[in-house]
Amino acid sequence: MIALVDCNSFYASCEQVFRPDLQHKPVVVLSNNDGCIIAANKEAKTLTEIPMFQPVFKIKKILDLHNVVCFSSNYTLYSDMSRRVMDTLKTFSPLVEEYSIDESFVDLSFYHPEELVEIAHKIKDIIYKNTGIPVGVGIAKTKSLAKLANKFAKKIPENDNVFVIDSDEKRNYLLQSLKVKDIWGVGRKHAIRLNNKNITTALEFANLPVAWIRKEMTVIGERLWRELNNMSCLEMLSVPHAKKGIGTAKSFGKKLTDYHLIAESCSYYVAEVADLLRQQQSAASQIEVFLTTNYHSDTDKQYQNKIIIALDSPTNSTIVLTQKALMGLKKIFKSGYRYKKVGINLSQLVPENQIQMNLFTPYHKSESKELTQVMDAINSKYGKNKVKLATVGNRENEWALIKEHRSPRYTTQWHELLTIGKPSRSACSKDTISS
Amino acid sequence: MKTLQVNLIEKSKKNYRVSRPTQTGFSSPATHYNEPRVDLNDVLIENASATFYVRAVDDSFNAFDIYKNDVLIIDKSLTPKHNQLVIAIRDDAFKIIRIVAEATTELQIWGVITYIIKSVK
Repeated sequence: MIALVDCNSFYASCEQVFRPDLQHKPVVVLSNNDGCIIAANKEAKTLTEIPMFQPVFKIKKILDLHNVVCFSSNYTLYSDMSRRVMDTLKTFSPLVEEYSIDESFVDLSFYHPEELVEIAHKIKDIIYKNTGIPVGVGIAKTKSLAKLANKFAKKIPENDNVFVIDSDEKRNYLLQSLKVKDIWGVGRKHAIRLNNKNITTALEFANLPVAWIRKEMTVIGERLWRELNNMSCLEMLSVPHAKKGIGTAKSFGKKLTDYHLIAESCSYYVAEVADLLRQQQSAASQIEVFLTTNYHSDTDKQYQNKIIIALDSPTNSTIVLTQKALMGLKKIFKSGYRYKKVGINLSQLVPENQIQMNLFTPYHKSESKELTQVMDAINSKYGKNKVKLATVGNRENEWALIKEHRSPRYTTQWHELLTIGKPSRSACSKDTISS
Repeated sequence: MKTLQVNLIEKSKKNYRVSRPTQTGFSSPATHYNEPRVDLNDVLIENASATFYVRAVDDSFNAFDIYKNDVLIIDKSLTPKHNQLVIAIRDDAFKIIRIVAEATTELQIWGVITYIIKSVK
């Protein structure tokens, strides 16, 4: 049996753990650059129609009217809280698949089936006690069913955030109560197509003949169908698959016109993605750089462009990747525009121990593996970017993301700890959005 | 190829094994006696994923011998016993309370204080 454990409105819950004054109050978390809402707690969701992924400036009035507390995203905090939740889960089972920052699959096969309801409640209660994060637990024979059980656990208040499918009766009851579109992996298009065939509930989907599914929804659909019929097709993974491409795209804190500032931010993000590349022991064969103005603006002249540069031989050296990226940036940069965002994508990744060297390109010292390893070692010991290329510069505050309402990094920074006493917390920014 | 150990709970890297002698002359009489140095993380923190640190910003808790800039180690996984100090939530704010077994009011406990770190420099 497999459990799917996921945290309820995770980002907002993390903020509330450290803010007793925000219990039962509406809380939302904003995306990078405070652009739009990416998470809202139960109170914020029920209180008003807060449209998710809406630019904040468009709904500021609604937020202010209902005294909704806004936070900038504090991913440092969320990632530490996530690790606490995951580590607590690992005390229940040796096989935990961290699916995302706020959900995990947990293999519970070695528990007696009759214990599972009790175990599910125990998981929920202990995680809440130890970390302050509320979770929902769905347990079933397959991953897809566990995912549905989890949805159901949270949907019906009587379930108390726990639902275990330990009988065919329960499975039918659950599949009957959920719609086709609730099934993990059924996209909007397939949902519409199924609805047109009068298939509306998950149960009707599970009772279709498998040949029809295979024909209409390929092997992916068939896999889902099998999973809903108690045949496990999705293995538990303990290590993530190596990614086929790694990229990042971030808005600047303010619109930039100066090439040198953009180049510095570009270098910074290349270093970030190159680090991920090395962590998964891959090397990239090509790097793409793109640059864009603010397409939301009615007054700015618009321009966007991208360039893909093939590397002489695959590399994961920050130095080489930065050189190439800046060459590309120079080519696509045009002066006279107010730029909003730069992005980097590394693709055609190969394992680093299978690099085909190029006979015609001389080997550069800058590709030195030892140098890269020393830089990585220093930075992992003393902090991000303690040693960096000069191209990154020192003007991060002029291009970095805006985080006006970021909470303290309570658990990772000695000088930002939670505080107790008269000013009941550390000097934290105002919570309401200032006009 | 080295696999990524992404799925393990982080533990401190202690080593009780006898390390290879490094002396070039008379080999060390301490060879079989070395132990890892005391690590406060092992001593003061029983459950790392449930442990949080909280700093006092004034003297409002001097009744408990907690003064400005003291840092409290809080373990949320513990259930408080008689006479232990806890951080509780009352009137939407954190308070420090000493648990008395016959307390009647319903307390919302945030975590149990296990140690108080004071700087006396």
